[in-house]
Amino acid sequence: MLFPKRMPKRPLYLIIPPQLLVLAIVIFPLLWAIYISFHSWNPTISPERRFVGIANYIAVLKDERFLASLGRMLYYSGVGVTIQLVLGTLIALALVEYIRSERLRTFALVVFLLPMMMAEAVVAQMWTLLVTDTGTINNILVWLGFSPIGWRTQKLALTTLMIVDIWQWTSLPLLIAYAARISVPERLLESARLDGASKFLILRKIILPYMRVPLAIAFLLRFMDSYKFLDKVFIMTYGGPGTATELPTFYLYQTAFSYFNVGYAASMSWIFGIMAVVAMLIFWRLTKRA
Amino acid sequence: MQKGKWGRRLGILGLVVYGIFILFPIYWTVNTSFKHVGDVYKVPPAFIPPDFTLEAYQFVLQGTGRIALGNSLIVGILATVLAVVLGTMASYAYSRYPNTPLTNETAQFNLLTLRMFPPIAFLLPIFWFWKTFGLLDTYFSLVITYAAFNLPLAVWLLKGFLDALPRSIEEASYVDGYSFWQTARRIVLPLIGPGLAATVALTWIFIWNEFIIAYLLGGRNVLLYTAYLPSLRRGMRIMWNQIAALSILAIIPSIIILIFFRKHLIKVYLR
Repeated sequence: MLFPKRMPKRPLYLIIPPQLLVLAIVIFPLLWAIYISFHSWNPTISPERRFVGIANYIAVLKDERFLASLGRMLYYSGVGVTIQLVLGTLIALALVEYIRSERLRTFALVVFLLPMMMAEAVVAQMWTLLVTDTGTINNILVWLGFSPIGWRTQKLALTTLMIVDIWQWTSLPLLIAYAARISVPERLLESARLDGASKFLILRKIILPYMRVPLAIAFLLRFMDSYKFLDKVFIMTYGGPGTATELPTFYLYQTAFSYFNVGYAASMSWIFGIMAVVAMLIFWRLTKRA
Repeated sequence: MQKGKWGRRLGILGLVVYGIFILFPIYWTVNTSFKHVGDVYKVPPAFIPPDFTLEAYQFVLQGTGRIALGNSLIVGILATVLAVVLGTMASYAYSRYPNTPLTNETAQFNLLTLRMFPPIAFLLPIFWFWKTFGLLDTYFSLVITYAAFNLPLAVWLLKGFLDALPRSIEEASYVDGYSFWQTARRIVLPLIGPGLAATVALTWIFIWNEFIIAYLLGGRNVLLYTAYLPSLRRGMRIMWNQIAALSILAIIPSIIILIFFRKHLIKVYLR
């Protein structure tokens, strides 16, 4: 009675335009990519598409360059995101624990969040100026009498990228950890202090349990993003030197847009994409259980 | 007691060190943007521009830099409006009518899957999609693509605000004789106003900051600033002062949004 009779149809009017957009830009191209992935097709060589079945998929899974890039991603994401999470949590705890002035705390938080609001392209440029061979950091080192560091060499380049990513993205776990920390009821902490519990015990028994789920979500978000990581590789190192910073996203870019090996790239997209979704589902489950 | 004092000192020291780590690259970019290009590589490095100049800003604002920033602004605003309008529609349907085949949990999850897939995995087919229609490198294709990629974000943010709005308020409005659209305009939208504003701000930042779509789908006719920035580094002499100036101009809008929406940003991640 409360609703006019036409009401139940409204959601369909509302949901159709957004769904159409997603269908056109995402679903349709993805289906096309499945179709192409069963073909051998390089439009720069010949317009002809040759049906090859699942040969592309098998080739990708055997492709050593692809597997090596996955290994790099594990190092880069695993180590990088863990550092971001630990550092972000420590900074957030220190902020709440040691800065009493509300104003100063908000100011510090805004400063710490700055990098997250910047374009990856801008951050990559800013840091390239700092880490090139004759860049600022090396100039300062030389000036202080140290020897310059080869930030962009075979050995260090991937770690340099990781440092830049830590600079930019520690903000996110920091923000989430901060939000989780201030959601701990003050009463609970007060009564624990009155009972004479040590700071460490309060941290371990009261604060950390409150932070566990948000931190798991922070890990999930960061891992998801670092999985997609491409911009900084593209701008700072272009996969090099050699293949030292070639992550799967960059190899995929090369295959699709430099070699125009379209069929092969399409099957790689699908393998990589499915791996992303599976990884996320696993993390999602683990988070829910936590 | 003594021990607690040292812990506090150590903590504050840590915060200061981290603050320097965060601020140094930004400070250095500002510093570089006011230098002549010849002063950029000096040893010892000049911590204050030795010969303060605005020539980098002048160059960036006169030429291609202004076009690129302008294009980014146009595409960013249009795509944000589209994403938020469609996102509001979708999130309302998801929030109020979660039991139809198009709005149930599976449909909602499918939309979120979009955010999990690496964009580069989509971009090959999307590139050919726009190429087929002859729309590659146009405002139209860029706006539509950005709106589609950021729709999940808008829906995810807005649905939280709509879920928190009691249904009884809308029911009361129908009892008063308001129609569906009147209710939407006079009751629902004003009540989720702050959430809507935060969603607009965040969506806009994501689009403004995006690089690879700008690089692959645009570039010639519609050059966005993120795609233009790397191209400044080619050539014999790298114009670091111009790169720095463009970078500073590009982060100003985000800083303004960050300062205005700092409370909302924290709230968004609280949920």
